[in-house]
Amino acid sequence: MFPRLNPLTTLAAAVAVLVMTTAAASWAVSLTVAVGAVLLSAASGTLRRVLLASAAIIVPFWLSLLVIHGLFFPEGRTVLASWGPARVTAEGLSFALEMGLRTAAFVLVLMVFSFSVRVPELVAALTARRVPPQVGYVLASTLLLAPLVAARLEKVRQAQESRGLVVGRGIGSRAAAIRLQMVPLVLGLVHDAGIRAQALDARGFRSAGPRTSYTEARDSAAQAAFRLVAILLALAAVGWRMVESLSAGSLAALSLSAGGPG
Amino acid sequence: MSQPSLTLPPTDRQAVRRRRLLELLGAAAIAATFVFLVLTQPADIAGGLGSVSSLVALGGFLLGALLLIVGVLPTLPTSTVVLIPVALVLNIVLGQLMGTSGLPFYLDSIGTVLIAVLAGPAAGAATGALSSIVWSFFNPTVLPFAAGAALIGFLAGVAARYGLFRRFYLAPVAGFVTGIIAGVVSAPIAAFVFGGTSGAGTGAIVSAFRAMGDTLLAAITKQALISDPMDKAIVFAIAAMLVYALPRRTTFQFPFVRRFRVLAGREPAARNS
Repeated sequence: MFPRLNPLTTLAAAVAVLVMTTAAASWAVSLTVAVGAVLLSAASGTLRRVLLASAAIIVPFWLSLLVIHGLFFPEGRTVLASWGPARVTAEGLSFALEMGLRTAAFVLVLMVFSFSVRVPELVAALTARRVPPQVGYVLASTLLLAPLVAARLEKVRQAQESRGLVVGRGIGSRAAAIRLQMVPLVLGLVHDAGIRAQALDARGFRSAGPRTSYTEARDSAAQAAFRLVAILLALAAVGWRMVESLSAGSLAALSLSAGGPG
Repeated sequence: MSQPSLTLPPTDRQAVRRRRLLELLGAAAIAATFVFLVLTQPADIAGGLGSVSSLVALGGFLLGALLLIVGVLPTLPTSTVVLIPVALVLNIVLGQLMGTSGLPFYLDSIGTVLIAVLAGPAAGAATGALSSIVWSFFNPTVLPFAAGAALIGFLAGVAARYGLFRRFYLAPVAGFVTGIIAGVVSAPIAAFVFGGTSGAGTGAIVSAFRAMGDTLLAAITKQALISDPMDKAIVFAIAAMLVYALPRRTTFQFPFVRRFRVLAGREPAARNS
């Protein structure tokens, strides 16, 4: 579908969109960005995974926002309903809606990025930019290590269960079970890390000379120009928002002293 | 820098000074962001969505975290760099293991504290910041909390440096204090970037304080002061338990542990001296 873009280009695009969404602070813009991210993931064929992963984060988040701001919003004045201390206010609901949409846009855009990026390419692009090689190593190594560690934890659990580990009801029993799994896991991982350090050192991991890479991240003048434009647009959005809020600052202060509780 | 040596790594002081400068700039960015947010919050949240505050919170805290990472990481020995991915995965996997155990804590910084105890405050801060950044590949909402995570790693390293891990009962105390500071620093993020929530569980406590008429930032700070110190006390205790469970041969290979006598007990005799 897409030609492979340089990971830094997609990253710059994602960051610029997020900065502009935050600066705009309007539910319409957030909704547009969220829908755009969903369409983009559909076009690149990651729709299902992006939606599942994002929903797992966004849905509890929305519920929590709704409970906090939907029921309790002391600044709100348009009361729609009230039970005892809880008051449903129009201001609270609109605040929850705006925050919820903005967070949804934030999560969706970054999810589209992280499902589209290939980590080796990202590491190669970072190294070409003279980011310290340790950063790339940590990034790539963590993402590769995660499934291995999960598998290892499973093995430790099976081994301990075959030796008679039974998780009981009480907190003490659960804590003991966690300890019996955690200690062997951490011991093994730290031991492995020591061996890996020797192997890396023997291959000149810490030497400061020029480096070559198996994977080359493709780049072009057009992409470089696009990144520049994206960053400039994001900065412009921040600048516009600062000026806006400075000129509106006196107004907000007035309305606060007139009716706000603070 | 223009012509790097092909044979030997350049041991110039300029590079060292530049990295130290990056570290200081990173810490300064985080501190300045926090001060700005606390000073400007009341007018801003009434004036609308707190858009300037969320921009400053995101930008300042993330910039600080990135500067810390780029400044600290190249100075660490390979044995520590290799341990960082392990710590990040431990943060995630042990966090999930805790989740399945039904205990009411999130405990997502065990690996960070472990690194801080073994390799010092700078390594701890870099690990905390990296943890948030790498985790955000799976869950983007943790990304803005990078500065808070870095602070936890840094404070854990400082506690280890001054011998608080030499006595088992002092580690949770250090964790409690760390939790107070980290909770207060992370609260503006929850308030201005996410409108007051970092998960379903904490929402109820925030609502309770809001019902009493607190401002959003005050309510979230109080919620953080309830949950974070307890959580970090447990994390520090678990990290101490793990460090003492490791064989002495492993822990004493870290220069930080040897130099500041971080752990109780004698250094094992060198084998080939």
